[in-house]
Amino acid sequence: MIVHVENLVKRYGELTAIDHLSMDVRQGEIFGLLGPNGSGKTTAINCILSLLKYDKGIIEVFDKPMTPYAYDIKKDIGIVMQNVAVFEELTVYENIDYFCGLYITDKIQKEAYVKEAIDFVGLGDFIKFSPKKLSGGLLRRLNIACGIAHKPKLIILDEPTVAVDPQSRNKILEGIVALNRQGATIIYTSHYMEEVEQICSRIMILDKGRIIAEGTKEELKNMISLGEKISVEVFGLSEAHVKEIELLPNITSVTYQNHTLDIKSHKGKNNLENVLDYIRKNGINFGTIYSEKPTLNDVFLEITGKELRD
Amino acid sequence: MPVFKLCLKIFIKKLPIIMIYVSLFLVISLLIAGATKTDREKGFVQTKTNIAIINYDQSPLVTGLINGLKEIAHIVPLEDEPSTLQDALYYRKVTYILRIPEDFTEKFLAGDEVWIEKTGIPNSIDAIYVDLQVNQYLRIAGLYKSQSHIDSAMIAQHIQKDMENETKVNFSGGEEVQQDQSYAMFYYNYLAYSLFSVLILGISTIILVFKNQDLRRRNACSPISAGSSNFQFILANGVYAVICWAIMVGFCILFDYKNSNTPNTLLFLLNSFVFTLCAVSISFLVGNLVKNQDGISALTNVIALGPSFISGVFVPQEFIGENVLKIASFTPTYWYVKANNTIANLNSFDMDSLRETMGYTGVVLGFAIAFLALALVVGKKKQLSQEA
Repeated sequence: MIVHVENLVKRYGELTAIDHLSMDVRQGEIFGLLGPNGSGKTTAINCILSLLKYDKGIIEVFDKPMTPYAYDIKKDIGIVMQNVAVFEELTVYENIDYFCGLYITDKIQKEAYVKEAIDFVGLGDFIKFSPKKLSGGLLRRLNIACGIAHKPKLIILDEPTVAVDPQSRNKILEGIVALNRQGATIIYTSHYMEEVEQICSRIMILDKGRIIAEGTKEELKNMISLGEKISVEVFGLSEAHVKEIELLPNITSVTYQNHTLDIKSHKGKNNLENVLDYIRKNGINFGTIYSEKPTLNDVFLEITGKELRD
Repeated sequence: MPVFKLCLKIFIKKLPIIMIYVSLFLVISLLIAGATKTDREKGFVQTKTNIAIINYDQSPLVTGLINGLKEIAHIVPLEDEPSTLQDALYYRKVTYILRIPEDFTEKFLAGDEVWIEKTGIPNSIDAIYVDLQVNQYLRIAGLYKSQSHIDSAMIAQHIQKDMENETKVNFSGGEEVQQDQSYAMFYYNYLAYSLFSVLILGISTIILVFKNQDLRRRNACSPISAGSSNFQFILANGVYAVICWAIMVGFCILFDYKNSNTPNTLLFLLNSFVFTLCAVSISFLVGNLVKNQDGISALTNVIALGPSFISGVFVPQEFIGENVLKIASFTPTYWYVKANNTIANLNSFDMDSLRETMGYTGVVLGFAIAFLALALVVGKKKQLSQEA
């Protein structure tokens, strides 16, 4: 096991930030920690890295107990902090060179790794730039380069795409997948369910320091009753029609607002077909039709009763 | 040594600001030191005063007296006119007028009561000195006359012989008179301000950078132990402090190389080095207390400039009020300046002479230890609150 956490408890006075968290991260996977802001993701990461003292629990990395003095473990970990942690006084190159130098002592090897990291994050044109002169997206890429330059076996990325433009975000996510393909095990925390869903092989959802669900994205979606969401653009739908649609098989809820009919149904075949049959038979004019599978937000919503972005 | 190299890189990035302080310091030092340089005597040279002698007795005894006075004074020939003599005294042409009457030697040898008339500028040290010489001559003459019946020529010969015997006078504590230390004293005093500014700016900035919680945590994730990291950090700051100190004292030795080959220079160096340690400690404390670069700039002015004003860096301590000096005595700058002033006036370098200087330097060292302890406590407390 790359990371093993057992019954981790971390309290700040009366507040329990982490409540009996247990998790296992296997070699070669991209493990996602998903949860809203304040759910305990960063606290859990800081405990795993021994940056924070915790009240209870066992943490092992590479099958060895993790302590602040476990330098043989730390040399194989790469960390990309939630807040960009670079030196404003240094250039892009100097920053990557410094952080890589904390792990790699051989000068030639270090130079090669730094160049690789620069190419990897696409900062080749900015190596002499001060971090102050970089855009938010480029700064995040620099933060990532500083964390991965030394080619660690385990990479922990704590919300690396916060406040990043879509183009940079895609670049970062592609990079993370590439790092995983190169053999690194990755722990990825985020409150963006789309990102976690896109790249993670296993996902743990946290809320208020507690695990509310864990598994692959398919496993998570199978945990809930929602099977399909259908949206139909219709004009002039009466109250009676809405009530009749609610009575169709598998349908769990129907809402009609702003000419959009939103239908949620249990898992089952022909849900969309049944709805369309009803619309056609009743001569209702309709426009665009969407049908989508449940997302992790739906999983979170069904389990906690609130939106993931709350 | 990545942390060490990083610190040096950050110091180099701050070099333009630091160089402004250093350049300003050197320019002001050169200008003011040049203006305040004093011309001290490099040895004892006897000077002669101007006197006039109105002599109506040409005996060998009186001639001997006049010859003796020529050794210590210039004899200015004046006419025996009251107005001429008064003018000569008034306009300081002479400081002393001696009138010897016609029958002076005769009456003196006969044992009669005799008078010579003397007129001098009131409270003039020169006149008193001439007076002493005249009295001494006549006392010795009186002594010879009472012991044997010899003529005035013989008495004059004896007195001349006696007065040729001089007592050698040595300056206590050294065979040579000290060299001029006024430039060095000013320079090292002013160093207090510049060194303080440069060290606080450099070291506090580095501490501020490393105090950033994100960077601290990021560094804590690395396989470099806290001990090694701290060692590299302290080493870099130490190297920076020593380089700053060496550059600044180096310029003093360069500018004042003629007077630098003395034990005083060694003491100045020692005192300034101890003060550098104190400035480093204070810089550590400032770095741990402030939250941003603006805070450092503000505190640099307060900590470096304030004590310099009240402790005698810009204005000599002699001209500063007693109460102000009492307040200043709570700052290391005061004791540093006091030590410099004492060192500048040192001629002797035995333990007794050095005790006072060492005492003042010791107080500065005490300040250094106290501030360092305080900085460590504050730093540790903040670190623990971040780890909790």
